[in-house]
Amino acid sequence: MVRNKRFHWLLSLASAGVLVLGLSGCSGDGGGETGDDGGPTKIGFVAVGPEGAWRQANEANMQETFTKEAGFELKYAPATNLDQKSQIDAFTSFVDEGVDVILLSATEGSGWEDSLKRAQEAEIPVILIDRGIEPDTTSLYVTRIAPDNLQVSKSVAGWATETFPQGANYFVLEGPAGVSVVNERNRGWNETIGAKPEFKKLGAQTANWSTEEAKSVFETVLKSNNNKVQLVFAQNDEMGLGAVLAVEEAGLVPGKDVKIATIDGTKNALEALAANKLSFVAEYNPLFGETALDVVKKVLAGEKVESYIVVPSQTFNSPEAAKTALPQRKF
Amino acid sequence: MSTTERRTVGGLRVLMRRQFFWGIIAILLLLLVNVLKDPSFLSVSVNSTNGNLVGNLVDILRASAPILMIAVGMSLVVATGGIDLSVGSIMVVAGAVSMEFLKANGQSGGVALGALGAALAVSALLGVVNGILVSVVGLQPFISTLVMMLAGRGLAKVITSGQNTAASNGPFRWIANGYVIGLPVVVLLAVVVVLLVALVVRRSALGLMIEAIGVNPKASRMAGIKPRGLLITVYALSALLAGIAGVFATASVMTVDVSRTGYQLELDAILAVVIGGASLAGGKFSMGGAVVGALLIATLDKTIVFLGVSSSATPAFKAAVIIVLCLLQSERVRNLFTQRRAARARAPKESVTA
Repeated sequence: MVRNKRFHWLLSLASAGVLVLGLSGCSGDGGGETGDDGGPTKIGFVAVGPEGAWRQANEANMQETFTKEAGFELKYAPATNLDQKSQIDAFTSFVDEGVDVILLSATEGSGWEDSLKRAQEAEIPVILIDRGIEPDTTSLYVTRIAPDNLQVSKSVAGWATETFPQGANYFVLEGPAGVSVVNERNRGWNETIGAKPEFKKLGAQTANWSTEEAKSVFETVLKSNNNKVQLVFAQNDEMGLGAVLAVEEAGLVPGKDVKIATIDGTKNALEALAANKLSFVAEYNPLFGETALDVVKKVLAGEKVESYIVVPSQTFNSPEAAKTALPQRKF
Repeated sequence: MSTTERRTVGGLRVLMRRQFFWGIIAILLLLLVNVLKDPSFLSVSVNSTNGNLVGNLVDILRASAPILMIAVGMSLVVATGGIDLSVGSIMVVAGAVSMEFLKANGQSGGVALGALGAALAVSALLGVVNGILVSVVGLQPFISTLVMMLAGRGLAKVITSGQNTAASNGPFRWIANGYVIGLPVVVLLAVVVVLLVALVVRRSALGLMIEAIGVNPKASRMAGIKPRGLLITVYALSALLAGIAGVFATASVMTVDVSRTGYQLELDAILAVVIGGASLAGGKFSMGGAVVGALLIATLDKTIVFLGVSSSATPAFKAAVIIVLCLLQSERVRNLFTQRRAARARAPKESVTA
């Protein structure tokens, strides 16, 4: 008992020590140099963290752009397991610390008003990277830099109507419910396909962007429809690749019996397209660090920027197109 | 009433008294709902080209394999009065270790065995750490395994340098996707592991000792049970089983998803154990119950997809099924029903006498 008490006492002393050290570290950071007088410009990047190859490429590209050599100090704060709460915490601590600019890739669209208002009060410009917020109150942030989800998913829908002039039975593999990307990709698809009665929607399910879940979901979807699914719209590459595995396991040929279209354009997906397993890959270009750099410079110089900056993306509709693009693929 | 009839009625009554009886009923009801949607749901056919069994039931069994592993481990931990929150994270560690190992070493069967061995060894090691934190350091199981839950996913990210890692290796893929005499390997392996664990804990005094710790640690120590070694063994076993689950989950797609593999599966495991009738206060475990619980969760997941419940309604649907099941299991709620029925049966009699 006595020993136990002493151990507890030691433990609390140790944790208090750690806390004090941490706090002093904070104040040391915040107090000294600010971006205005010569030191590096401090950028807080509230990021998503490990999610898939696309995100990896996007965030690595950001980190490579905002380097010390370019005069920046990028503080990278990935979310813990895609949890919004951890993002809000990181955002708040960036505001308290007084960084010069905050870059935000929100894991979830809603629930950002209070945090964004705090940043506004502290006069810290916020730039949305890729993910938007809901409701989309443009006064709360400076600009959003992202490829246009609507346009990208419309390009998938356009390909579908060309490939299946007589229509098809299709299934949608979605990201987690409530994320802005999912809503936008659904909207773009539905605007085109929803107007065509020859396309029959068998259903939509979330597979949480994951290959494993997509495989499990799609094997059951195939069974519940007696393998009569001709078209799959997978809202990211990973889920599309999971659907490929499920199709192969059911003894069908992906690309022939079931055509699978995905969004993102990662290397893995293009390899699958080159091998004829996927049928269409719409790129959602993650490499826009340069654009972000430009915007940050303009914002710090007090210039006006558009409230939405679209990053151009391309599409791949054949194995040949994939093969030519593969050697220079960065993600 | 003939004797055989009486015996079956008696058998049914014994089964009804088992907590997991309601779990079985729930599985049957879910299957029934699926059959109502599509009468061919239960049909299992033989694939003409390779002789493998295919069907929704086979899919459910395959999907239940990883949950089965962690639920069995969890039931032992819960029986000691502890809890293991780290199983989901240990799954992702096992997945990360095996994928990195395969990526570095190539295609052969020996490499697959090496990956399996490395993954399981690392998992068991993490379990030993859990066990030491609980039994030697004397931290609360909730806290020690919570620490491991956070550290585990972090460790997986370090191992894969934060990326989802894919590898290709035929024999390793076979573990989750292969078939032997028409049956999926992953199901056979899961059954063998469960039987093995059940045999070891029930045919020896081990199970009894585990439960004794859960009932009263002090009394069990005085009765000559050494809790330290036993607790370390139990946590190591739970982690080892989680490692196997991680191998199952990653081998099925040959990719480890550092933020998704095994994510929140510790909750599924706890749920399976509770559905199986174990009390979180410890002191008893039921292998059969854990198996029923794991099967129920897999059936529920597949039912949601089969019925086409929309993504946004999925969590609510799952919660509704589980709360109904827990209500059915509760003695008090059941008594309420029987009392009302008895009251109604009594009521007309009273009116006659009056």
